[in-house]
Amino acid sequence: MKLSIHSLSKKYSGNVWGLLDLNLELKPGVLGLLGPNGAGKSTLMRILATVTRPSSGSIHWNDLDMLSSPDPLRAVLGYLPQDFGVYPHLTAHEFLAYLAAVKGLDGPAASRRIEELLSVVNLSDARNRPLGGFSGGMRQRVGIAQALLNDPQLLVVDEPTAGLDPEERVRFRNLLSELSGERIVILSTHIVSDVEAVATDIAILSHGRLLSHASPEALLASINGKVWEVLLPSSDLPALRQRHLVSSVAHRTDGVHARVVADSAPFPNSSPLEPSLEDAYLATIAAGRTTQAGASA
Amino acid sequence: MSAATVVLAAAKADFLERVRRYSFLFTLGLALYFGYMATVGRLTLRIGDSRGIYNSAWIGGLLAVVGSTFISLAGFYFVKNTLQRDNETRVGEILAATPISRFTYILGKFTSNFAVLASMIGTLALSSVVMQLVSGEDLHIHLWKLLSPFLLLSLPAMTVVAALAIVFETIPFLHGGFGNVVYFFMWTAILTAPILGNSALYDLGGLFILRRSIVASGAAPLAENSFSLSIDSGQFKAASIFRWEGIPWTAEVLFSRLLLCAVALLLCVIAAALFDRFDPARGYRALRASPTPALPVIVSIPTAPPAPATKLSPLVTRAQSFRFTAVLAAELRLMLKGQRWWWYSVAAGLVLAQALVSKPDSRGMVLAFAWIWPILLWSSMGMRELRYQTHQILFAAPHPLARQLPAVWLAGVLLAVVTGSGFALRLLLEKNLPGLFAWAVGALFIPSAALCLGVWSSSSKPFEILYTLLWYIGPMHAMASFDFMGSSPATAATLYPQIYLAFTAILFAMAVAGRKRQLLL
Repeated sequence: MKLSIHSLSKKYSGNVWGLLDLNLELKPGVLGLLGPNGAGKSTLMRILATVTRPSSGSIHWNDLDMLSSPDPLRAVLGYLPQDFGVYPHLTAHEFLAYLAAVKGLDGPAASRRIEELLSVVNLSDARNRPLGGFSGGMRQRVGIAQALLNDPQLLVVDEPTAGLDPEERVRFRNLLSELSGERIVILSTHIVSDVEAVATDIAILSHGRLLSHASPEALLASINGKVWEVLLPSSDLPALRQRHLVSSVAHRTDGVHARVVADSAPFPNSSPLEPSLEDAYLATIAAGRTTQAGASA
Repeated sequence: MSAATVVLAAAKADFLERVRRYSFLFTLGLALYFGYMATVGRLTLRIGDSRGIYNSAWIGGLLAVVGSTFISLAGFYFVKNTLQRDNETRVGEILAATPISRFTYILGKFTSNFAVLASMIGTLALSSVVMQLVSGEDLHIHLWKLLSPFLLLSLPAMTVVAALAIVFETIPFLHGGFGNVVYFFMWTAILTAPILGNSALYDLGGLFILRRSIVASGAAPLAENSFSLSIDSGQFKAASIFRWEGIPWTAEVLFSRLLLCAVALLLCVIAAALFDRFDPARGYRALRASPTPALPVIVSIPTAPPAPATKLSPLVTRAQSFRFTAVLAAELRLMLKGQRWWWYSVAAGLVLAQALVSKPDSRGMVLAFAWIWPILLWSSMGMRELRYQTHQILFAAPHPLARQLPAVWLAGVLLAVVTGSGFALRLLLEKNLPGLFAWAVGALFIPSAALCLGVWSSSSKPFEILYTLLWYIGPMHAMASFDFMGSSPATAATLYPQIYLAFTAILFAMAVAGRKRQLLL
């Protein structure tokens, strides 16, 4: 099982590039896709879900060109879009039954699968209520269930935990970890902790470009020894932010404890810290920004 | 900030949002089309076989009445989406959290509606100058005579249309497709009201005022009852041409037009009272959220405590062979979902009536009603996926073009076959094969048109409007060229069923092409 993306670009009207020359090679596991707003994550997700066509480049699913023949991939694809709707007059069960039919699942197998999925997403009790009355989180769970209907080999989920309460978020992460064995899961999110919990690989996008594709360990190793804790008065914080990348701050009685990403200790009293994935993400984005500014200049 | 400033700010934002959409160009194009039709002599005002000379008064009067008559229909449908847009874009929720009052908001929307309609009338007014110069019968342009009918006949009519569109949007059962159909019949009633009431007070379009003025001037041959605003397939050749110098703007006429503006304002007050201020627990949003109005919006549902770990068993039988009937059944269920018992009762009653009515003409009329009854089900074909934003999920399923789209179409055909089955049964018993063929063409034509318009417009409105119009002209008035369903016994003997079959094929092909385009976007 392999998904290969080569030189993928997407140009929108007004000469805006959603993606630019993206290359990725994916094997079974969970790829966490991180990036700021407008980085091109959803564009990539829509292209992988065969909903949008790229301007150039190629995508191969097990050596089959999915741009010229998307249907073999669609048969094994599960997709949860970032923004999706439901038919408000259908119940959760009816909506899933409809999508099961469209995805080609036959009667008894579909029924069993729907029941199981409703239980997995914790909606069994609400199975016969019209979707129009569902809260945002409940609709999201219906979305998750529909993405898993056909037991997909490629699961593309865009911001899947948006609108879920903390308990449901943990539940979904567990589900995703459990699913990841023999399939490729692509998880796009802003929430670094979601990726941290389940991803076997992390890709960081910014301005349509791939800045990094590595394992979480490799990403953390890249900033090993570059994260510091700095104690300073709160009045000095703006100056610190201007000079260094500050990943977090905590106000305490003795002053501000700032978490700083820098090649060397910013101050003599700085103490080294264990790097987190959030530090690594911010450092990668900042480095990408510097490279891009240099290229533009 | 004064209320007037807020109204204007709200109207300006709404107006700009509209004029920056391609559909606005279409509305102006439509206005220009009416001007063109009048210029080439295919849209005429007649007194018997006569018409007025194309001077400023006649052209101004003609185009102003054309504007208020036709734009009061087409324009209504163009502007009846302002609250819906705020709801769909979720801007409404933001506005609802501001201090803007319901009346101020409605007034802002009314002003924007009026501005859109007025720009259509303005386009028509500009084309009137061109028309006078092109016709060349009287090159002296008298600005007041040319433009005053637009100002005093058309614009007051547009205030009522602008306000009515908002009232329709605030009434739960009129905001959608049913309202579109209702307005069509309301519009035909409004046009005939001044003739029945014999008073300028009921004259929305200004046709009555124009007719009375022409007759009173003595310029035209006396044929009061033969006054008509006509659309012809060819150029109208008048038997005689007379000179008419325009409407005398008497106090009575001006009062009647001012009264229309007052009615519009009253309609705005009613709309403000009905407006739900985007509260999902009130109004049509609550109705849309659940099949029964009494059901409250669910904030949280007691669910089983989440299991600490989740395990999903593998799907043992992955679909090997695709079952089209399963998708067809699912699409049919989706199409019929939400219909109440009385809907089925009426449909069943109409089927029974088709089978029992013995007079062919009357039976045809029953078929016409049976095939207008499911209009709102057909009009959702092809656009449902985008309207409810399920398209990304559906288009990512295998073979969306070869499986889902034909299933939608066939579900529409089945609906036509079942709701018109009584008529078909009688034709079968009478061994009337040409009649049966015409009926079958109708059963194929309706869903094909619905699917095509739905896919290309992503809206149910075009089908609801055009189908109602076609239905009204053809089956309801037994005009064979528009009788797409073979409801009139005479239609079967003509070539029209074959022509509509060809149209059906074209419409279906266009629907496929439109969906293919959506898949490739």
